Formats: sequence, structure tokens, C-alpha cells
Amino acid sequence: MAKALLSLVDVHVRRGMNTVLEGCTLTVEAGQTVVLTGANGAGKSTLLETAAGLLPMERGHVQHDEVVVADADGRRRNSPLTVGVALQRNGMLGGEILTEHLHAAMSMSGHGVDVDPFLKQFKLMHRANDLVAHLSQGQARKVAVLAGLLPAFASPTPALIILDEPDAGLDDASIEILGQWLNELRTMGHALLVATHDERVMAQATHLYDVDQRKFQTTTAPPAGRVDTRTSREVKPLSRSAFGVKMHLRTMMWLNTNAMAGLLTLGILLTLGDFMEELDNLQRMGFILAPTLAVGLCGDPLVAALREERAGVWWRAVGGGEPHAGWIPLAIGAVFTFLTTNGLQDAREIHIIVAGAVLCFLVWHSVGWMQRSTQRLARPHAVFIGLLTPVLILPYSLLISVLS
Amino acid sequence: MRLSEAVLFIGFMGIGTTLLLALLWAPSVSINAFESPAAQRIFYWHVPAAWAAFIAFGALFVGSAGWLFKRSEWMWRLHVAGSEAGLATGLMAVWSGCVWGAAEWGTPWDWTDVRLNSFGLLTLLAIYVVLGRNSQPDGVETRDTFAAFGLYGFVLVPLTYIATRIWTIRHPGPVVATGDGSSINSDMGLVLLIGAVSFTVFIIGHMMASMRLTAMEQRLERMQQHLDGGV
Repeated sequence: MAKALLSLVDVHVRRGMNTVLEGCTLTVEAGQTVVLTGANGAGKSTLLETAAGLLPMERGHVQHDEVVVADADGRRRNSPLTVGVALQRNGMLGGEILTEHLHAAMSMSGHGVDVDPFLKQFKLMHRANDLVAHLSQGQARKVAVLAGLLPAFASPTPALIILDEPDAGLDDASIEILGQWLNELRTMGHALLVATHDERVMAQATHLYDVDQRKFQTTTAPPAGRVDTRTSREVKPLSRSAFGVKMHLRTMMWLNTNAMAGLLTLGILLTLGDFMEELDNLQRMGFILAPTLAVGLCGDPLVAALREERAGVWWRAVGGGEPHAGWIPLAIGAVFTFLTTNGLQDAREIHIIVAGAVLCFLVWHSVGWMQRSTQRLARPHAVFIGLLTPVLILPYSLLISVLS
Repeated sequence: MRLSEAVLFIGFMGIGTTLLLALLWAPSVSINAFESPAAQRIFYWHVPAAWAAFIAFGALFVGSAGWLFKRSEWMWRLHVAGSEAGLATGLMAVWSGCVWGAAEWGTPWDWTDVRLNSFGLLTLLAIYVVLGRNSQPDGVETRDTFAAFGLYGFVLVPLTYIATRIWTIRHPGPVVATGDGSSINSDMGLVLLIGAVSFTVFIIGHMMASMRLTAMEQRLERMQQHLDGGV
């Protein structure tokens, strides 16, 4: 008997006020392709996202290989397997470059392969260096599907592939190629869990699982596919902060929110005229650090950007968490504190600039954490996160009293 | 009249009595000890309101924990009731404190007073939970998220309590349960006691009524879902 790479044991999942999965038990072994069937709304996507460890459970647990990656008590562990995921939404930011996204997906496994042959087969070679935002919907879907498959092609050990309607939006020729790749991956000994309504993809199944009826049945397995020789090389996994910093630098999203808030605060201070000499030390520090505080209070604009095409959810599935701005707030905080001391003609002391950088870093990431804490909600934009930010007055007050 | 309405009514009457006693009967304080002695009478509203807010935030914590760990509908209703009652009484305490502070200290707010700020944050959290929850469709995701914030907010309660003992910068120290005898005279203590009991009864009535309302909303939602199903 082959090794079970994915096990869902007595899983109960609620979404909204409904119980979508009730007592779902399913195992996918290495070398199996399990295709989920069922009507729209039966819970196929819920099952796939639960298998990826993305959804909280009321009961049961999800196991990758021999490690429980998620259970009903809210415990989470990183998967020991290489996991490739393509959700219903593409999970990519418009500011990513096509090949960059594919390399990021593969890097999670610590291995990579040459992507060019895949791009050629999917007729994307001419788009290799384009931004995802410049692709058509069908092309973007191809990239998302490749990001789900390539980690397994690169992995020297059995991988788990989770695909939610990978055929949606693909042309006939691409679906044929997708079928061949699925067969090849199964032949290589990877485990595949796929939701689809397309019979050509369904034909690749070794087993079918009816989500409505909770019935598991074996089908006639397609003949083993041809396995192409590909050279896998070791690569350094892309960290979430490295990705976040890259996106910040490329898209300059911080300029639109954080920097503008800081500049406006600084501008207001400058219009007040030459008043610093009349202030005591505590007030002086409060004014010097005010623009930096305003920069941080805007939070991390990457959080909102990651809602695009559920990119944040994709990162949580394959990378264990969402990308963040990393050291960016340190730099912006230092620059704004420097600008403020200059603008207000105050002493440019290094320890004040360092304090400004640290304040900006702490406040920025704290607000980012608050923003992320509401990501599960149906309408995360509608909650009043701003009401929680006054708590950050406390570190600000503490810092200015220490500095003064 | 339902029990919740009766309790709420008794609470209102008690609060009205407290106000009358505070304004007409309670002794005046020493003119030398206060900047604004007349404003001191706000104390009979401010302290019981803060006391009731702590009861409400306690209910919010218990309800949040009960939902997260037991998945109990009754506990979710307690979370809703606790947050709404905490919002009402928190605002009463903060607003009356600002008025008193403006008269006594010359400023309605002091950013260096940890006790004042932590209580203000607790009230902001209650506003966040109430408004945020109303902005979302009811469901397990909404309940889990706001119950987690309910638990997080309760960390501020012991912090506020400790703040009353340690960081007394502008704020006066505790006036009751100090362990070394009361710092107020017996008539003042009596009015304060009537106020505390009245606010406690009021907050219990408020939460009972709120829980009943939430139960009715849930029933209505189930009936609407039943109709959505075409049955």
C-alpha cells in the first residue's frame, strides 16, 4: 500500500451559518489522483481549502504525510510535504512578473526546474517577463495552474497537489496538456486532489469522491504517463518578507498611503511656523515623531493588495503565512524622522532617528497585524480597524517620554 | 412586562434616584480640596458607570470564551449583550470623566494617565466589536473573529485595574475596596452604593433584553433561510 500523503479525518467545517462538511474522511495516497465531484455549492472548494490547512474546523484534523497540519483546536503546523496549490481565484498580485511567481511557488519546496518548456507548451513564452496584471484572464489562469503543478515537477520527493477547477477558463488545447501533466505527476508518485467539472480532467482520476454523498470510488486508472527528464536544482526558499519588500519597492504602494499621511502631518507642522523653541522636551519629541507615527498608523498597504485574487490565501497555503513589508517601515520611519528634524530645525541626533525608525516599524506591523486579523470575514473592508489604532498611542507616549 | 424589561425598569429608577440624591442630598466636598467642587457630583454617575462597564466587559469575555471553546449559542448571545452593554456604560463613564476632567484638571483628557487611556481603549474596542459585527453577515467567521477580539480586549481589564493601583498620575485612587478603610464619608458612600447597585441592575436588565433580542434575530434568520430554501 502506498503512503498516504493527505488524510482528512472526521472533518466538520462551517461556513457562514451552514455546516458545509460533516464528518468528511478522505485519504489521498502517493500515486493517486482523487477527483472531487458534486454539484455547485456541495463543498468541493471548502474541502480543498481545508485540505490545504486554510480553514478552521469544528471537528477532526488534516494530516500531511504523518504530520497533523491543522486540527479543530486551532493548532497549525507547516506541511512537511511540498505542496502545490491552485485555488479558484488565481492567488497572484498584478505586480508580480509571470516567471517570478512560478519561481516563488517552486522555491517553497527548496527545488526548482526550468520553466521554459512549460511556458512553451502553454504558449506563454512570449509573456514570460510580463506583469501578471498585463495577462488576459485565460493566460493568468494558466500561470496559476502552473504555480500549482511546478512545485511537484521540481520536488524530488512525493508532493501534494491541490487544484480547484484548474480547467476553468482554459482553451481545449491547454486542457489536453493539463491532462497529460496530471498523468505525468501521478506516474511520478505525487498525490493529486482535484475539483473539476471537465470530463477530460476527470478522466485522469484514479478515484472519485462524491462530496454530496461522501462516497469514495475507484475508477479505471489511465495508463501511466510518459515522464520527461527534468533537471531539478536546489533553490533558496523565497521568504515572505523578501517577497513583500520586492512588491513594495516595485509598486511603491507605500507612497500612496503611508508616505502621504506622513508628508501631510509634516506639512501641517511646518505651517505652524517656528514654534519648537517654546516647547518643553516632551512636546518637542511628540511633534518630531508625529509624522512617523502617522506613517505607521496607515498600516501595511500590502494587506489590502493581497486580497486581490486571494493572493494572501495562496501564500498561506504554500508559504505558511502572508507576505509583509519587512524592513521597509524602518527605512521610511528613519527618513521621515530625519525630514521632520530638518523641517522643524531641530537637532538631528542619531538616536532620535533610530527611535523614529523603530516606532514606525512597530506601529506599521501592529496595524498590519490588526488588518490581517479580519481577513477571514466576509467583508474585511467593512470593519472598523481604525478604532483599534489608538492603542498605539501608548508606545508613542512611552517613546517620547523616554527620549525627552 | 417581561422579566428583562422589569429589571431594566428597576435599574432606570435606581439610576434616577441616584442622580436626585447626588444633586440634592449628597454632602458638598471641601472647597479647598477640589478645583471645581460642584463638578465632583459627577462622581456618583462616573464611578457606578465604570463599575457597570467592567461587569459588561466581563460578560463579553465569558461570552467570547464560551463561543470559541464551547460553540454555545447562549454564550454568543452573551458576547453580543456584553459588548453592547459595555459600549453604553463605557461611553457613560468616559464622557462623564471628560466633563469632570475638564472642570477639575482643566483638560478633558490626559494622555499620560494609563488608567484613563486603558479604559478609553476598552470602550473603543467595544465600539469596534459592535460596529464591526453589525457590518458582517452572521456566521462562524464573524463570530470567531469578534470573539477573539473580545478575549483580547479583556486583557485591558486587569491592566486598567492595576493602573488604578499603580499609575495614579492625575486620576484619583480607588475610593472603595481599598483594603485600608473607605476614603469617603458615609453619606457619600451610601449614594455611591445606591448608584453601583442601580447600575448593576440596569446592566443586567440591558444584557437580558439584548440576549432576548439576539435570540429573536437568530430565529428570524432561520425562518428566512427556511423560506430561501423554497419550503
